[in-house]
Amino acid sequence: MTGPVAQGLAAYLTRVWGEPVAIEGLARISGGASRETYRFDAVLGGERRPLIVRRDPPGSLIETDRRSEFMALKSFHGRGVAAPEPLILEEEGAELSRPFFIMARVDGGMTASPFQPDPYAPHAAKIAEDFFGTLGRIAGADVAALPLAEVCEAPALDACWRRELDYWAGVIDEDELHPQPIVRAAIRWLRRNPPPPAQKLSVVHGDYRTGNFLHDGEGRIIAVLDWEMAHLGDPLEDLGWALDPLWRHSETGRVAGMVPKDEAIAIWERASGLKVDPAAFAWWELFASVKGQAIWISSAKEYRAGGYAEPILGFSGWVTARMQDEILAAKLKELAG
Amino acid sequence: MTPSVREVMAGVGAALAVPPSPDAGPDYYASRVGMISMLAGLAAQEANRAAAAAFAENADIRATFRRGAPLYLDLELGPVAAEEDTDLTVSALDAVNVRLRRLLIRLHEAVEDAGDKAMNGAILDLYVRMAAGRRLSLGGG
Repeated sequence: MTGPVAQGLAAYLTRVWGEPVAIEGLARISGGASRETYRFDAVLGGERRPLIVRRDPPGSLIETDRRSEFMALKSFHGRGVAAPEPLILEEEGAELSRPFFIMARVDGGMTASPFQPDPYAPHAAKIAEDFFGTLGRIAGADVAALPLAEVCEAPALDACWRRELDYWAGVIDEDELHPQPIVRAAIRWLRRNPPPPAQKLSVVHGDYRTGNFLHDGEGRIIAVLDWEMAHLGDPLEDLGWALDPLWRHSETGRVAGMVPKDEAIAIWERASGLKVDPAAFAWWELFASVKGQAIWISSAKEYRAGGYAEPILGFSGWVTARMQDEILAAKLKELAG
Repeated sequence: MTPSVREVMAGVGAALAVPPSPDAGPDYYASRVGMISMLAGLAAQEANRAAAAAFAENADIRATFRRGAPLYLDLELGPVAAEEDTDLTVSALDAVNVRLRRLLIRLHEAVEDAGDKAMNGAILDLYVRMAAGRRLSLGGG
């Protein structure tokens, strides 16, 4: 039985490529709550193309721009970062009714759930080199030369923090259903203690963390995924997010389930050519938890708005939100000395 | 708190009622059912302790108000601090919690404006207890 997505894809690709296309092996991929993601093979003229389509869902954890995701992939594919090749961007929705883009599929990889214990052993140290090295290369890239710069606003170096904080604090203002004193206190701390200007303007992946890449099971990252929140900003933003305790796989001694924090930062510094100022980084670490809580608050709102039918929104808006509150409370106490 | 345990339980039913799509495939549904099952297990955990957690948090916030009442007169914390929870349903406790948390936010803002380190520390300690009191264990229990 063929469903509407397969039918829509066949019709769309037949029209765009100008010859009959058959869709085979279509299957939805779990996760990626901000996009519906399907794997499929497009068969045309005896050739089989392994592809992924990412379509906007009716309701989403986060409102994102699929053009910036597409251009972010275009910025890094084939340039020392395992970004899948972006192929087609369709912003009107056409035969699939909602905006989508198609990219090449990377087969043979595996992902780790953020809550899975010790997901990378015995290759954790090796994968850390790839994970934090890749992030360093993204941070160190010359923004002006990248396609993403064509579609993203370039904030002034001293405005990066404020733009991000205003945005995510605004999300909380808009979506909060139950008063959240802990994240409110964190937002006030961030406003009272602004970081120094960014040392350079960088591409910020926006959701660079354990679980958002495919690895080969032997310590090598073969695809960096989920670029939907990519933007230009402070290079420390992504590092703060990647190191958030939420993504520690329940460990205290290692970040992202890989290596101790100082080792992760050293890898990043070597790859980026940048330095991590501890005071500035403390700001971005707290900000990461505020941003996380904003996303989980939004997902709780979407869970209710969608009639509770999407379990990942319930999990994020309920369980993950409570974990994030514990992280925020601990960070606030630590910052107060 | 949002979502409430009642909403999550309703969600378990709502998610199971979504008809399968021929586009999704068996792996997606296996993963989805796994997530629904996890939510049901966590809801069972929450059902057993949601009222106790909300009751304890409300009492803890009121204790902080008692400490702040003589110092932050404009906020009129005294009468709120003297209240007690008598309706012990989760929905009633949550409704009170909304009111208490809103006042707590105002108190913390006032404490920060006053540079009151002792009271600030007390509120940060309260936050740690509040967050820990609402913890859901992915390992069950």
